[in-house]
Amino acid sequence: MAEKKIIKTTCKSCHGGCGVLVEVTDGVITHIEGNPESATRGTMCAKGLSSIQHIDNPYRITHPYKRTGEKGEGKWKQISWDEALDTIAAKIKEASEKYGPWTVATSQGTGRGYNRYVHRFSRSMGSANVISPGYICHSPRIGLYGLITGYGRLYCDYHGWGGVFPKTQISWAKQLEISSADSEMAYWYTKSLDYCKNLIIVDPRATAFTSRATLWLQIRPGTDAALALGMINIIIQEGLWDKEFVENWTYGFEELKNRAAEYPVDKVSEITWIPKEKIIQAARLFAQDTPGVIQIGSSLERQANCGQTIRAIINLLGITGNIERPGSMISWVLPETGLIEDVFNEIPLTDEMRSHIYGGDKFKMGAARTCNPDTIIRELNKGEKPIRVWISVGGQQIVHLASTQQVVEGLKNLDFLVQVDQFWGPMAEMADIVLPSAHWLELDDIYDMHPRFMIEAHNKCVEPPGEAMSDAWIFNEIGRRVVPEYWFKDVETLLDHELRKAPITWKKFSERTVSGCFGPDQKYYKYKTDYWRKGGGFPTPTGKMELYSTVLENLGYDPLPFFKEPGESPYSTPELAKEYPLVLTTGFRSPFYFLAQYRNIPWLRTFMEYPTMQINPKTAKELGIEDGDFVWLESPRGKIIQKARLFPGIDPRVVAATANWFYPEAPAQGYRGVFISNPNILTNANYQDPMYGSPDLTCLICKVYKCKPEELKDPKYSDIFIKEHGGKPWAW
Amino acid sequence: MRWGMVINLKKCTRCHACIAACRIEHFLPMGMNWPRLIAWETDVPGEELTTIPVRCNQCKDAPCVEVCPAEATKKREDGIVYVDNDICVGCRYCIIACPYQNRTFLSRDKDPGYFPGYERTRFEKAGRKIYPHVVGTTEKCDFCMERIDAGLAKGLVPGKDREATPACVNTCQSRALTFGDLDDPESEVSKLIKEQNAFQLHPEYGTDPAVYYIDGKIGNAPSNIAPREEQTASHIQHLSTMEERAKQIFGKK
Ligand code: SF4
Ligand code: SF4
Ligand code: SF4
Ligand code: SF4
Repeated sequence: MAEKKIIKTTCKSCHGGCGVLVEVTDGVITHIEGNPESATRGTMCAKGLSSIQHIDNPYRITHPYKRTGEKGEGKWKQISWDEALDTIAAKIKEASEKYGPWTVATSQGTGRGYNRYVHRFSRSMGSANVISPGYICHSPRIGLYGLITGYGRLYCDYHGWGGVFPKTQISWAKQLEISSADSEMAYWYTKSLDYCKNLIIVDPRATAFTSRATLWLQIRPGTDAALALGMINIIIQEGLWDKEFVENWTYGFEELKNRAAEYPVDKVSEITWIPKEKIIQAARLFAQDTPGVIQIGSSLERQANCGQTIRAIINLLGITGNIERPGSMISWVLPETGLIEDVFNEIPLTDEMRSHIYGGDKFKMGAARTCNPDTIIRELNKGEKPIRVWISVGGQQIVHLASTQQVVEGLKNLDFLVQVDQFWGPMAEMADIVLPSAHWLELDDIYDMHPRFMIEAHNKCVEPPGEAMSDAWIFNEIGRRVVPEYWFKDVETLLDHELRKAPITWKKFSERTVSGCFGPDQKYYKYKTDYWRKGGGFPTPTGKMELYSTVLENLGYDPLPFFKEPGESPYSTPELAKEYPLVLTTGFRSPFYFLAQYRNIPWLRTFMEYPTMQINPKTAKELGIEDGDFVWLESPRGKIIQKARLFPGIDPRVVAATANWFYPEAPAQGYRGVFISNPNILTNANYQDPMYGSPDLTCLICKVYKCKPEELKDPKYSDIFIKEHGGKPWAW
Repeated sequence: MRWGMVINLKKCTRCHACIAACRIEHFLPMGMNWPRLIAWETDVPGEELTTIPVRCNQCKDAPCVEVCPAEATKKREDGIVYVDNDICVGCRYCIIACPYQNRTFLSRDKDPGYFPGYERTRFEKAGRKIYPHVVGTTEKCDFCMERIDAGLAKGLVPGKDREATPACVNTCQSRALTFGDLDDPESEVSKLIKEQNAFQLHPEYGTDPAVYYIDGKIGNAPSNIAPREEQTASHIQHLSTMEERAKQIFGKK
């Protein structure tokens, strides 16, 4: 009789959070489905379900390796864990003693499980140089929300715990319905739409929802601040703002009013390419049909005006009183387990650590706890060595940072690079030592969601392949060798430590799977109570929600939001735009991939085999491009190949490229095809947001032309694009 | 009794999870997709308007059943059309007969394994035993009839109880899929069809599909008041780990 077990766990294939039931028969996973007894009620997306193909996937990294050839040559020797960990610890100690602990950087991919270990690890070594994609994804939102709520998180109240759902929803540069990005789950969002009166979508491209929404504002990429300010102006001019909230709980309304007056609707319509009537209607609906929420997407954080764009949107929420009301934006109360991130907050940043944050002098908001990656890449390219040793977990900086060529050249200049990862990819091919990490089906850990009203358990279902270990184990082991006073006997002790406030042990928590504060346990209208401030108010210097930010003012930034053209656009660089006439946006969400991941998961790759760019049929016709053609996208920095999809849902003046693309099946040489289709070949970091350092990744200009068939026969590309020539492993 | 499905195009996000769930449920070989998302073209060639989820319509007058010379494609009392792969001779008449192109012939090249050239994964191998596929026969969506039958045997209601409901319906994050008995006027599917002007794809084919579609605008909800079970989060409240001491420190005062 086969032994069959059902293990309750939590998916982490995006930012995560869906409860999962895994059926394990005699040690083999035979079924995965959602757990109906979870916050996502038994639903799961294609990415989470396809996790089954992480198991026995021949492309997994299974053992520690050390490089024996040149970087990018793909020559490796298998080594033991002890040798790997001892070597890494020695390198860290050496760099730290000779050049200072800040020359050791720790980097990560998206904010998933390892996030808090990355910070603890870095701080325990005495370095604040954490290299995180946060500055182009979520940190600007957190930081700027923090100017109002102190604690830095505002999320959409999709749950009805306060009695009502949002009446008007704006989905701004986000496709939460297919991404569950930032752990606000697609299930919650789509359920809340059942109770929604008006859905307004701000997106340069049509989505499944745009034609069905109340309003679709098809915006020119990079002009979102102008739209937000234009809406604020209309609301104020028409007297539609929330008078009670503004009068009692905000600071700087008059100043904001004057600033917004600089954005009359005709001007905004011209800037954004959105018809004037639609902007007016959106402003009225949002101001009148309250409560409302705005779901902000990370595309806005990949722009050089990101800080002020987000500020403008927050102010739009402020003047409509959509803060802390049921059905509006809210900062969730923590569950009894407290703030799981305290596992790194308990090691505070010292002034010395702070003073060595690269880019900290310039990008002051971004430097709250991470450095500016582009600054480091620039220095490395100059032949400087701001960083000597770089410990990288999960992320693919080569893929997601601006200017791929410069990142590759820069990283070659490091003394020592470690990549901790599940699969071979560009960063692993650059590394000196590669460590195998376990997938969420293969590990015990705590899942800490961004909205923070609950935590869940990742329970190990099967053994990892070969010698792979969990990220928590890997950090703990390196930590124990370098700064043992900060690290733990084993992972279980670490997890117990993280849960101690509840108090609950890991063993017990892993059976329960959830610790949450939901339903009537949540608290609304915190500013009307002593929650943030005795006698009520917001935890800001003025005690009010600061429409005019005194904090930004003190840091030397404009305290009021403004619009600025993208670094390269038909208006800011008209001469350049003659050569590169199309606006290019990159990085729209795909339901099959999470950023740079999953091109090596066959089920997911069947859904989009090649990176796809969308182009309006009219534009395509003028350029002689047909649906399915391979095309070149070119900017002053270089050119890439993507497959053209003729799509009437995009403005004829705009094209959209799939971002974060490398070919895991491509050889190590060429860093697994990272130079072929990755849009960051086209971007640069010349224009950066003054607060966060975010470069223009989602708003630039390009030209598009058809790829000649003989170009694809070039040996550089033929294996990838011409199936008869191999096409393995994607032979299907 | 006739099982049917309603696909709500205003809810469907085109996320493809239904396809993934079906692949897992039936251990589908790499080249097989029972449900699919297909492009819905406009009259202008090359202009794609949207995509639309499709799967076998379990037609009342199913041409695939009529043409099958081996009587391998059968229609059950409850309307489910299925293929008995032990009998199917692989003639592929049904593939030509299905006006919706919802059938696929499992040829050897459609089953290269997840990772061609490598050993099959343990999940694949287990699948060969739990849910074998016969190369050289035709396959299609069968409304997860094994789930329905097993569920009914336990006294469960397909479309209401998860265990008796098709896998794709269960996984859909936006709840775009609804399953139930078309013959029961009180069922969720019947109500949706009646109240929301449901339509069948290509009614002119005259096969009377059991898969219906609804479409329209998102929003215009009559009220934004949350029902009580949402307000209390009753489905997850009981999972909370709240201990006595924690209650004192963090609990509602
Ligand atoms: S939405 Fe995220 S957490 Fe849920 S199944 Fe998909 S990848 Fe996993
Ligand atoms: S799972 Fe649901 S939302 Fe996703 S494509 Fe299928 S029907 Fe549409
Ligand atoms: S959709 Fe095609 S395969 Fe399904 S029952 Fe109708 S004719 Fe047969
Ligand atoms: S009903 Fe069952 S067989 Fe049909 S598509 Fe859905 S999961 Fe697949």
